[in-house]
Amino acid sequence: MQIAIASGKGGVGKSSVAASLVYLLKDTYKLIAIDADADAPNLDLLFNVEKWEEEKELVGAKVAKINTETCIQCGICAERCPYDCIKFIDGNYVVNELTCEGCGVCRLVCPVEGVITLEEVRSGIIRKTTTKYNFPLISAQLDVGRPNSGKLVTEEKEWAKKIMKEQNLEHMIVDSAAGIGCQVIASLGGADVVILIAEPTPASLSDVKRVYKVVQHFREPAYLIINKADLNPGFRGLHEFAEEEDIPIIGEIPYDRAVPKSMTMLQPVIEAFPQSKASKALKEIARIVEEEILK
Amino acid sequence: MQIAVSGGKGGTGKSTVAINLAIALKEYFDLALADLDVEAPNDHILLNVELQNEEPVNMFMPRFDYSKCIKCRKCAEICEENAIITMKDGTPFLIPTLCSGCRGCEIVCPVPGAILEKQKTMGHTYLTNTVYGFPLITGKLLEGEERAMPIVVAARKRVQKLDNELLLVDTAAGTNNTVSKALENSKLLIAVTEPTPLGLHDLELILKLAELMGIETWIVLNRSSLGNREGVQKVAKEYGVEIVAEIPYSENIIRSYIEGKPIVLSENKEAEVFKELAKKVAEYVG
Repeated sequence: MQIAIASGKGGVGKSSVAASLVYLLKDTYKLIAIDADADAPNLDLLFNVEKWEEEKELVGAKVAKINTETCIQCGICAERCPYDCIKFIDGNYVVNELTCEGCGVCRLVCPVEGVITLEEVRSGIIRKTTTKYNFPLISAQLDVGRPNSGKLVTEEKEWAKKIMKEQNLEHMIVDSAAGIGCQVIASLGGADVVILIAEPTPASLSDVKRVYKVVQHFREPAYLIINKADLNPGFRGLHEFAEEEDIPIIGEIPYDRAVPKSMTMLQPVIEAFPQSKASKALKEIARIVEEEILK
Repeated sequence: MQIAVSGGKGGTGKSTVAINLAIALKEYFDLALADLDVEAPNDHILLNVELQNEEPVNMFMPRFDYSKCIKCRKCAEICEENAIITMKDGTPFLIPTLCSGCRGCEIVCPVPGAILEKQKTMGHTYLTNTVYGFPLITGKLLEGEERAMPIVVAARKRVQKLDNELLLVDTAAGTNNTVSKALENSKLLIAVTEPTPLGLHDLELILKLAELMGIETWIVLNRSSLGNREGVQKVAKEYGVEIVAEIPYSENIIRSYIEGKPIVLSENKEAEVFKELAKKVAEYVG
């Protein structure tokens, strides 16, 4: 089974909840975890990964390059670039590699053959390890200024599927990126179940509603976990949203300083502080996940 | 003049810093605030305003006139996104979700009128008049659309037309190319981070990006009382940047965040942090 964990908004505790859930399920189920947030991966930090067993460079991204020797400086490329990435700097037209999307329009409109080329560049790395908890983890790290594409997440998933076959694993747990863009769409695509994580703030509500629209597009069943649930006792927005959309709430985790403390110890909170308020709630959530989702 | 608030990791308080700083900077400048976190724009929620003056961000998509198409496959060959597939005989078809709207196919098509223009709305930009005396420009990607870049570009264009003395930009999390697009032309970057290993990891990435882009950077350490500050100090030193403000973990800030009442306008002592920061920014940008 493929379970995706999503939130829309960053910083609501998606990865720390995901890490604890994986930790609680790892002994009963054969699973693999994927960190699909290549822009800011952190599951490896939470599982205290020190070394990677295998790394693959990703060279999918393309950027345009202008040969200043042969360029006739007509400026058509700069005019036509859909993303405004070509600037006239110190007497030359130059592509800003950190914002180029690699669409190739500049090359097509350039009147002189061969002046503009599209070059493959490294967009980041995908890597795999076996955590000290004995389940495999796949993670990615995008290089700065590269387009964050869904292709990268798709490649992570392909790799995971291969490992699942080799090691006879049953479940894939995907910790998706914040937002609703291509990497999130790739994270949610093919999932059997989506677990949404939100905190009781208007901003988190707005973002989780947005990601839920993407979930609906895939027609995947969703569940909701409310994190930092006692932060804003008067706020009913998440409950109303869950009721309106018929999304079961499978747990509410109270705000607990043990969570950030466990992060600095590079451990899931459930391992570092098993008796904390947050851990107790997480144990109950894991039980429900076993009964409702993994049954 | 443009300055930016960013910070690598999500949830470190970028938007909180951006809106409070904007309000405090209003004393010094005629400014505009741009929320370029187009996948999860929240500045308007924190400022407690409804988005106004919606404008669609439309994107070109090719529509094939099959009576004119000569099935030369050029459009499919040049499409970097592989959004155009061809049948055995060369008849082109579009996979709309892959199309980036770059117009490459239209440019190479040898037959005038064989590729027509279809428009697709990918998101919207908003121009909202806030009660704080500055306008807020927001870019918002439509749910189900994959490409954030065109929305960031459109929101930037809209804000540039306003021609304010100072533009404060709030970016998305991470360091991908939509973040660099948001940071472009900034004189100063305020990197918001928190003293956890996760915050630190992402801080390093944004410092690297800022260095590549040649943007002067300051660090604002949020929830400074939570973890160990030494790590952040070490990274700051390594990159030669200064920690200009520290915001302790604060129930008051959380409450103001939840209630949509910016803390800088309150009597709480936390308001001072943002006023001081604004003063420092004002002195720096002159």
